[in-house]
Formats: sequence, structure tokens, C-alpha cells
Amino acid sequence: MSENLKKILICDDSILMRKKLKESINSCGTFEILEATDGEKAVEIYKEVKPALVFMDIVMPVKDGIQAVTEIKEFDSNAKVVMASSSGTKEHLKKAIKAGAFEFIQKPWEQEQITRIVNNLFKKGE
Amino acid sequence: MFTQYFGQYLLNKNYLTPQQLHEGLELQKETRLKLGVLAVNAGYMTADQADEVNEAQKKVDKRFGELAVDMGYLTNEQVEELLSSQKFGHLLLGQALVDKGYMTLQEFEKAINEYKKEYSISDQEFEAIQRDDVEKMINTLIKIEGSKDEKLLKSYLALFARNLIRFIDTEAVVSEVVKLEEYQCRFAAKQNVQGEISLTTYIEADESSFVKFASKFAEEDLTTVDEMVEASVGEFLNLHNGIFLVNMSNTGIELELTPQEIHTNLKVNNVYKITIDLSFGKINLLICE
Repeated sequence: MSENLKKILICDDSILMRKKLKESINSCGTFEILEATDGEKAVEIYKEVKPALVFMDIVMPVKDGIQAVTEIKEFDSNAKVVMASSSGTKEHLKKAIKAGAFEFIQKPWEQEQITRIVNNLFKKGE
Repeated sequence: MFTQYFGQYLLNKNYLTPQQLHEGLELQKETRLKLGVLAVNAGYMTADQADEVNEAQKKVDKRFGELAVDMGYLTNEQVEELLSSQKFGHLLLGQALVDKGYMTLQEFEKAINEYKKEYSISDQEFEAIQRDDVEKMINTLIKIEGSKDEKLLKSYLALFARNLIRFIDTEAVVSEVVKLEEYQCRFAAKQNVQGEISLTTYIEADESSFVKFASKFAEEDLTTVDEMVEASVGEFLNLHNGIFLVNMSNTGIELELTPQEIHTNLKVNNVYKITIDLSFGKINLLICE
């Protein structure tokens, strides 16, 4: 992987969801994609690598996504985190916004949602 | 879909052999027209528009007619008109069975009337059921006895049936609901719904159906129980429970989910076992209150 590639971190406990999300992101361009299987690993990887974008599930073992986003934002207030969860309840939306996520996508997502998020972040200016 | 429920009834009453029902359903399938086809045939939509609606239908929990109205291709009046020409699926099954010589038309009519009487189905409900209104069908045809909250379980089950139809198999039919003191799972994905309402939910099946179910949801050719198969069935359960949580949240009840787990040979107690027939096998939805 080239040092110059933009890094995107995917955090989901499901290997299927990581695979699908990776495919969706890859169809938007070339990125270095990192994977985490729970919130704790996501925080560790974030601190080490500082990816430009994070996709974060909510319901996960060890540490849930809301807690992970809170810790990531404490470490880096400019972190760009998108919550991607099957349970977009009012409570989860509220918690995600409070934790600092800038977007919430309900599973199953559509390719256009991923494309829009990735393009908005990477195609402008840089 | 109602036709399959009714077919199951004919089978249970020994009016037909499984082979005869299978042949009848196969023959009936060939003659049943889809709403999209009817709309194109009536000149209300182009074939491209119908394809577009079919594509959109894969992504949202809506019927073809509803979506076609949302997308501006049909009016509500046109949908009503088309549905009224579509709702005789069970009669097509009847015709198929009569043609094959498995039943007389009189026997078929008698069976339909018995069925309506046995389930106390009003004419209005019968209309809705024939239109494949899943919610109505579950509410009317499925009995969940001894539950703390039968209404809740039925709405959970109706959503599950809709999600199966949406993501896995349009032929999905709830064939049996039983309450068991003890059940030995083969392969199972498990997830807890917690909060004001507490449910433990499982999707359980034998190895072959478990793998085929996973393949359908993942849209991949999976052949043996591995991490991907487990993730796929687990994710379907998570997706379904997530939509259930959103629906409950919209009524003011906030619930939480636990991460999904995979188990083999797990024993569960005091469980509702809801068997669902799919085109490739059977799965069980297990619910503990």
C-alpha cells in the first residue's frame, strides 16, 4: 500500500458487512482500507493510524460503537466518523450525534449513500 | 402467498398428497400474473419502469403497488384495479388441481369455506389475505397460544416474514407455530432484544438450510458452515431486529440489542418454534419471552 493513499477504517463485528462495505468503498476509488472487529480495536487503530474516515457499527462485542466514537473524538476532535447500523432508533441517532458522528446510515445501505459520503470527503479540494 | 397457506391446509386435512400440492402450485405459478406484468399489460407502465420498481423493491419494505405510486408511475386507483384482477391466486391453484384431476371444483370450494370457518375469517379479512397482506395474514392465520403479549409476537413475526420475502425468498411461508418446553438447536444465530420488552431470538436450521439461507442473504455462493455463513445468518437476524427496534422506537419504546452469537447444538427452554418454509428448505425462528 502506498503511503499516499487515503485511509478508511471500517469497524463491524460481521465479516460479511466488512466485505460488503469494502466493496462499496472500493467502487468509489482507491483507498487503504483498515478493518476492526470491535470498538476497542477501532480506537486502537484510530490512534495509531488516524484514518481520514471511519465507518462504525453500533452493536458490537467488547466495546460498542457509540463508546468507540466518543473515545475517538476525545483523542481527535476532527475525526470523521459515520455510524452504520441496522438499528437507527431515535435513541441511537441521538447518542451517535452526541458522541460526535457526522452521519448515520441505516443498514442495509445503498451504494449511493457510500459514494456520496466518500466523494464529499475526498473529491473536494484535495 | 395466501395460496401456499391454503395449500398447507389442504395438505394437513389430507385432501391432497404433498406431490399433488407441489404440482398444483407449480402449475398455478405459471399462470399467476405479477402486478408489474398486469400494469405493463394494461398500458399503465412501461417494462423499464416496472424493472425500476422491482429494483427499488429490493431496498425498501414496500409492495410493488405502493412503490409504483411513490415513484409516480401508477395512481392508487390503478393499483386497486390491478390488484382486484390479481387476487385470485388460490382460484388458480384450484383450477390447476381440478385440471390435474386431484380435486373437483366442488371439493375445492368446500375446502375454502371450511378454511374460512375454521380460522373465523371475515369476508373483509379474506380480501386482505388474498391480496397477500402479510400483517393481516399472520394476524388471522397464525395462532400464538399462551404468550404474554400475543400482539407483539405477531407483529414481530409479520415483520420477520416481510424481511424474509424482501431479502431471502419471495416464497417464504410460516407453516407452523408451536410452544416447546425444550428444543435442541442444530445451527443457530442468536440475539437478545432488551429493555421494556425482552426477547431472545434465534434463526435455527439444519446445516444445509443454514448454508443456503446464508448464501441468499450474502448473495454469494457459500457451501459449508464457515465464518461467512455464520456472519450472514447473524447479520440477517441483526438487520431484522434492528428494523424491529426502529419500529418500536417510532411508537416511543426504546430497546437495545446484544451482539449476535452463533451456536451449535444449543438447548433452549420455553420457546416458540415458528417454522418457515422456503423454496430451498425450512428454517425456524425461535423466540423466548
